[in-house]
Amino acid sequence: MEMASRQIVAFGGGGFSMESGNPLLDDYVLGLTRSERPRVCFLPSASGDADHYIVRFYRAFSAHRCEATHVSLFRREQGPSDLRRHLLSQDLIYVGGGSVVSLLGVWRAHGIDSILREAWEAGVILCGLSAGSLCWFAEALSGFHGQPRRLRALGLLPFSNCVHYERGSKRGEAYHGFLREGMRGGYAAEDGAALHFRGEELSRVVASRPQARGYRLDVAGTRVVEMRIATTYLGDRDAPPAAPLPEALSTAPAA
Amino acid sequence: MAAARGLSAATPVRRILALGGHEFSSRPADRAVSELLLRLAGEHGGERPRICILPTASGDTSDQIASFYTAFSERSCEPSDVSLFRLGRRPLALRDHLLAQDLIYVGGGSLLNLLAVWEAHDIASILSLAWRQGIVLAGQSAGAMCWFEAGITKSSGKPLAAAGLGLLGGSLCVHYNNEPERRAAYLDAVGDGMPGGYGLDDHAGLLWEGEGAPAAVTARRGARAYRVSGRNGKVAESPLPARFLAAPAPAALREDIAEFRRIKTMRKRAGWLG
Repeated sequence: MEMASRQIVAFGGGGFSMESGNPLLDDYVLGLTRSERPRVCFLPSASGDADHYIVRFYRAFSAHRCEATHVSLFRREQGPSDLRRHLLSQDLIYVGGGSVVSLLGVWRAHGIDSILREAWEAGVILCGLSAGSLCWFAEALSGFHGQPRRLRALGLLPFSNCVHYERGSKRGEAYHGFLREGMRGGYAAEDGAALHFRGEELSRVVASRPQARGYRLDVAGTRVVEMRIATTYLGDRDAPPAAPLPEALSTAPAA
Repeated sequence: MAAARGLSAATPVRRILALGGHEFSSRPADRAVSELLLRLAGEHGGERPRICILPTASGDTSDQIASFYTAFSERSCEPSDVSLFRLGRRPLALRDHLLAQDLIYVGGGSLLNLLAVWEAHDIASILSLAWRQGIVLAGQSAGAMCWFEAGITKSSGKPLAAAGLGLLGGSLCVHYNNEPERRAAYLDAVGDGMPGGYGLDDHAGLLWEGEGAPAAVTARRGARAYRVSGRNGKVAESPLPARFLAAPAPAALREDIAEFRRIKTMRKRAGWLG
């Protein structure tokens, strides 16, 4: 049997959580499902299942274009009783932002981590922003609790990941530092940019803002090599397809 | 340091208040529970004790945090909250903040998620240290069962046995006669070999102070604490004598009294001024 297409779309930041009025990234992930009325499940675990966040999800993913549900791990008595079955029956699983440390803790407690791997392998598209992006990678840089921290995540994608990778941010500096200390190479995305993986390979970078970019970071000896990846702006229908290979941008010397 | 305030004994008394269930509302039984929390905090921290809520088990809901502040913000104490899901917007030194408290209160919700998130943030070791330093630990529902070896949680929907931190030996079942299916699951679990312990109705509590048996308290007539023990598959359940906690005057009434005194003083002054 042919293996289902495994897909993850990791937003550096953006979508309904951060870009009200700009549905480009959310439309993009919905489009990937190739379904007229895709089944979309929201996992707001990283926010502690905040009510206002769940409401915003249902407004953005309205019933006329998809069949939206959410799973609240803090109120299990209200949701679907068979979590595994529910998640495996989705076209798209959308993970919200918040604390990635708390997210991973709660997921492990409910066995969600292994269900999501299973869903990914079965062809359910996984996506999310911020904590909902970091979670898919082997290693992540979390800047949620003040000082940036390096942590292990689910490891579906064998790379490191850094979100909200804005120019001159503390996160960028910290990410370079961790890479020099031995963190594995990986990908960073600015707000509005999303990394689309097919299998474990980066397929393309798309963006909801013309200037938003994704980056590939590697360590060569003691140097961090950062490459900006050609990005497709989703707002311009006439945009030519992005070049498949990253273009070299800069090499930052070791500190 | 708050830990050094209050008790002068060389070895601090370890105190935990486990509550079967309550809210921070203006109802008399709820006010009586808040009063007990304030008194316990004051015994450690003096006139203006520090009280911190950990609303983790609820996912840090605004409702739980707001009701806590409503109950304590106009009392003589310094209330604060540690919301692990919201630290991004408000970073703080977790360990320092928690160890500077006189009482740490843990709110209700999902026991499973509470312990998972605490483990991810390494909170359990801080709470254990706080307890050994004499900081009062308290909580209701999931926030009460977490201190025991085991409890009965509905974190996954149906009531099921789950492990806690184990600062206190044995087990606890909350909302005891308020949720009959939870009590039934508890009695079954103890019959099947889960360590025995206690059942607590809503508005009943157990206070551990140092070594020895806990003292039962109740803020509502009919709310009770039970000792539950199993032997050879049989389970025995017996109610414990409990001290009644009277509700203090409601906040509104206290304000009326204060206002009356202010007016009286003003009148006196006005008279004196001529």
